[in-house]
Amino acid sequence: METTIGSKSKWKNKEKGAKKKSIKKTIIYVVLTLFAIVNAYPILWMVINSFKSEQEFSVNQFGFPKEFVFENYVNAWKAANFDILFKNSIFICLAATVVTVLIGALASYFLARFSFKMNKLVYTLFIFGMIIPIHSTLVPMFILIRNLGLLNTPITLLFPYIAFNLPITIFILTSFMKAFPKDIEESAIMDGCGVFRTFWSIILPMSRPAVATVMVLNFIHNWNEFSFALVLINDPNLQTLPLGLASFAGQFTTNYGAQMAGLTMTLVPIVIFYLLLEKEIVKGMTSGAVKG
Amino acid sequence: MHLARRRKSSIFLGLLPALLLYLVFAIYPILQSFYYSVMSWDGFSAMTFVGLENFKELFKDPLFWNSVKNNIYVVLASVLGQVPIALFIALLLNRKLKGAKIFRTIGFLPVVLSTVVISLTWGLIYNSEEGLINEFLRSVGLEALAQNWLGDTQWAMIAVCITVIWQFVGLYLIIFLAALQNVPEEVLEAARIDGASEWTTTWKITVPMIWDTIIVAIVLCIAGSLRTFDLIYVMTHGGPSHSTDVMALYMFNETFSNLQYGYGSAVSVVIFLFSLMLIMVVRKALGQKVI
Repeated sequence: METTIGSKSKWKNKEKGAKKKSIKKTIIYVVLTLFAIVNAYPILWMVINSFKSEQEFSVNQFGFPKEFVFENYVNAWKAANFDILFKNSIFICLAATVVTVLIGALASYFLARFSFKMNKLVYTLFIFGMIIPIHSTLVPMFILIRNLGLLNTPITLLFPYIAFNLPITIFILTSFMKAFPKDIEESAIMDGCGVFRTFWSIILPMSRPAVATVMVLNFIHNWNEFSFALVLINDPNLQTLPLGLASFAGQFTTNYGAQMAGLTMTLVPIVIFYLLLEKEIVKGMTSGAVKG
Repeated sequence: MHLARRRKSSIFLGLLPALLLYLVFAIYPILQSFYYSVMSWDGFSAMTFVGLENFKELFKDPLFWNSVKNNIYVVLASVLGQVPIALFIALLLNRKLKGAKIFRTIGFLPVVLSTVVISLTWGLIYNSEEGLINEFLRSVGLEALAQNWLGDTQWAMIAVCITVIWQFVGLYLIIFLAALQNVPEEVLEAARIDGASEWTTTWKITVPMIWDTIIVAIVLCIAGSLRTFDLIYVMTHGGPSHSTDVMALYMFNETFSNLQYGYGSAVSVVIFLFSLMLIMVVRKALGQKVI
């Protein structure tokens, strides 16, 4: 993309051009660095200050801590019952993600590879879910879950999480599976493979890249979800991390150190997850967002 | 014949689990919200049918209109903040630059964080006594400018909007970068050979070529901001004195704090129809490209 000066230009021009180019590059780097600082500094500020004592925080907010105080972490961990929150979040996240991707992939397989009367209708119905604002469903969801006797159970959140992640899951997987050549299954069926066997041993393994993307997207959605958890869960023993964190911060409004330690503990796992799987996340976000 | 029948039942079996969960827990609730919106109900005792009474009352409710107004602020801040900043950064990043990947990674980071974490972090940044902003102002001798950012009706909405912009710039940045990668290099090369400056190439060729994506981003941005809830719920709870109340939050409070299930559902329906209308308009304008 760099502009190159034609070889016929005179040496003088070339030098001038190079100088201009390096000034431009410098400006670009300055702007990008500023952007990066604005993005990262709030988070870094919080992480760094989570290691400071209350006194040090109030006099020295910008520097590194003189000595690292881990007491904030101990206090936050105990006060917010982080062991319970982590356990709940990990369970709900994993369970909802696995179920969504499995049943979503199965449905995608039939939608992508078979022609039947209702195919288009069913697909459109699923995709429609991407435009439902979930807040419009909070009230009826609460009543539905209550009527089913499912309020405040360890599996309560699975139902809305699965239902609302299916659209994007099916959308991404269907478009991926549609691209496979037809003869793959034909030869499998010739060899006597049943439909489900073909799905499990051929289509699913072949969809690995898309499945990875969808898994990661599901996991992040579920890990961060707040609204359904807020409405459907009020037993402190069943709260997920975002919910527990919100109520913890409400009680510890003046204990900044503990608050920041709690935030850092919630933040670190998802940041590591992001850095490890960035490619998948970005792929999923763009295919989901640009196309729908 | 036998095989075809077996295939049909397999298709049914394969779709059933996903379809069932989706219909019961996504489609049924959205239909129910329409049903509840014409009822007067506290969620426990018997329902009474009131027709469009809830909607009539809603349109006369100044607090509802206040939440609409604040919601429009969020929409404007998002569209005018997120989209141009993201486009600008994407155009800068879309060239052979050392470290481009790092800038992209950091740029997208806020998008994967939980809104609750972001709200609480920014809550501390805005904190009136020991927050980052006031501490910074004090350290550079501008103590007079220090505010109770989230506690002041004049500043709260601005503070909230800045956080909203910060949270989602990365999303649009990634979308634009993906679109920019699809702009064929030959076209740009041809323009350069014809002597077009980078500025001209950008405005006359690159931007028009990703125009569809820009429109999609604007729609996503509007639809997303109409649903703003978590962030404000955690940061300000709509206060001080309703100055940061938005539609979704108003709905939540009417329903779960004031136990007006029918009335709250009417607000839900309005939010839903609003989003739907918007998407239809854009779908029409863009052909079938959006969803």
